[in-house]
Amino acid sequence: MSGGLRLALPGGALFEDACRLLSDAGVADIDAGRFDRQLRIATPTATVVKVRPTDVPVYVEMGACDAGIVGKDILWESPRDCYELVDLRFGACRLVLAAPQGSQLAEGRFPQSLRAATKYPIAARRFFDSLGLAVELIKLHGSVELAPAMGLADCVVDITATGRTLTANHLVEVAEAGRSTARLISNRASLKTRSEAVNQLAAALRRTVMAAATPVSGTSGPAASEPALRASALPDGDPGTSR
Amino acid sequence: MRGGACLDFARMSALQNPARGRAGGFADWIGAAAQRRRTVTEAFVDTFAAWGYEYLATPLVEPLDTVAAGVGGGLQAQLFRFMDADGSLLALVGERTVSVARVVSTQLQGAQPPLRLCYAGPVLFNRPPLGGRRREAMQAGCELIGHAGLAADAECIAVAAAALERAGVTGVQIDVGHADFVPSLLDSANLDAASRERVAGALRGRDLVAVEEALRGTEAGDAERELLLAFPTLRGGREILDTAGTRIGDPRPRRVLADLAELWEVLGRHGITANVHLDLGAVRDWDYYTGPTFELFSADLGFPLGAGGRYDRLLAAFGTDAPATGFVLHVDRCCDALLRGSGENGKVDALRLGYSPGRAGEAQALAARLRQAGVAVALDLEPAIGNRGEPVVDGAARLDDDGALLWRYRGEEGSGVEALLAARTEGAR
Repeated sequence: MSGGLRLALPGGALFEDACRLLSDAGVADIDAGRFDRQLRIATPTATVVKVRPTDVPVYVEMGACDAGIVGKDILWESPRDCYELVDLRFGACRLVLAAPQGSQLAEGRFPQSLRAATKYPIAARRFFDSLGLAVELIKLHGSVELAPAMGLADCVVDITATGRTLTANHLVEVAEAGRSTARLISNRASLKTRSEAVNQLAAALRRTVMAAATPVSGTSGPAASEPALRASALPDGDPGTSR
Repeated sequence: MRGGACLDFARMSALQNPARGRAGGFADWIGAAAQRRRTVTEAFVDTFAAWGYEYLATPLVEPLDTVAAGVGGGLQAQLFRFMDADGSLLALVGERTVSVARVVSTQLQGAQPPLRLCYAGPVLFNRPPLGGRRREAMQAGCELIGHAGLAADAECIAVAAAALERAGVTGVQIDVGHADFVPSLLDSANLDAASRERVAGALRGRDLVAVEEALRGTEAGDAERELLLAFPTLRGGREILDTAGTRIGDPRPRRVLADLAELWEVLGRHGITANVHLDLGAVRDWDYYTGPTFELFSADLGFPLGAGGRYDRLLAAFGTDAPATGFVLHVDRCCDALLRGSGENGKVDALRLGYSPGRAGEAQALAARLRQAGVAVALDLEPAIGNRGEPVVDGAARLDDDGALLWRYRGEEGSGVEALLAARTEGAR
């Protein structure tokens, strides 16, 4: 176990980029395809496990892994006691409030009572609270875009990368509630008891990410060169979205 | 139950009964694990006593108002709360420093400082279950009240280290920081109030990415910016104080560095600097702590084994203005670390004493003698018939028809009580 760090990677949309980043940074030479048949791969430098995105913070907080890669959107919803060390910049997406085309809300007028469907109740609650809006949240586990069309909710708070899924469901973006990219997180104790290894990992990933970044101003916005989180990857069945 | 680690699943499921449930996040402690938990707690309290800390017991329940005077909203939200007969709110305690502070400000008011007090007992958290986190935990801790100097801070660190050592927890690393370092850096960084709050919030959330974002576009000085961004790496031996000192001009953070240098000296006299790291970026509850802070880690565990620090403002909330420092050790996490470190599951070793018919009185007298000599003995409740000549199993002794005592104990085998007592002494060595 002391031979290398134990790293948790999120299955789903971020997985291939995460594997590539670890290889590029020289942290662990792993190929995403090898995880088709096994969930844990030990290299001379690190032991890497593939888990569901929502489980990455659990593995890291409990000390089963020293560090992990996970989308900020996952961290919004599962506040765990971890260090968030580096913005890895890939997997960029935004959390937006979207409403049906032609609705009052779509035109910027907030009705007195509002029901919002979302997979992100904590982030949505924080967003509405900061605006001072009393909104009833309906937690769904997938296909949130459907809710307004079926009369389940007046609007949605959901993740979007390209906006295509919203448009296809006749929804328009009203406001941005947050921005997400992949993050490197670390266990509290590992940062102390294996500080050299964890800090080296953070430095290596930071270097690689900075080197790859085109001179775009700002860091958290989705860069054009990045393989954006595909909207088609979001509906049910993707490990990243079903909780 | 002991020895039988495997349960018969078929038999268990045949007895399906909802009355056998147990609340999530709570645990039964059985056999060797229960024994270990007790001996660890005792090792801690014995150490505290050896350093002159007086044991006190406080209730499991405190009025919510009392709790609220001492702990912040974050911890309060994690408490089991309920209503008293008169409608006032009560809470099950989630830590015991507040209770000790209440006692110091009431029953012990006027006692000659410094006060050295210690405690051990369960605390409870109403966290959502299924998170893998305990909701009931055993905590043991010390409070050193009425002394504002670094000697008191160093003593607490030394007591905590000694207690872990006595309990057999090895490979402990002690991270020493200072609650005023990051706030003083923030104050000297030339930030406006809103940016300062954003940076502090991000540091509190251990979110380095947000710290970077919050610092971007502010007027923060280069040295402060660099130190704030490097907070997880501001860690090392005595030398990091000099490294940081060369970059900081403001007197307040410099005073913190001078304090830590002096603390390092005192810890050196306690002989524990080999396991100590100075951690300038330590993220602790800055509203609560006012001076040096520390956390204890083991490489075997993802959570701190204990934590402490100076909290000079707490007593004032109870009407006694006195400086104070202290720490808490998490007994259950220490047990986890012991189990993971050695992999050994310990053993409860009471000697089982059997006897032939007609020898009950003799066996009772023998058991009493052995117990007096410090051997734990479980005496059979009925005589054994017809096992003459058979070998005894380890951890058992038999008083035969002819009055001979045959035994196997701690891997040794023999006959006669004198040899048994000698074997006990050997084993204890």
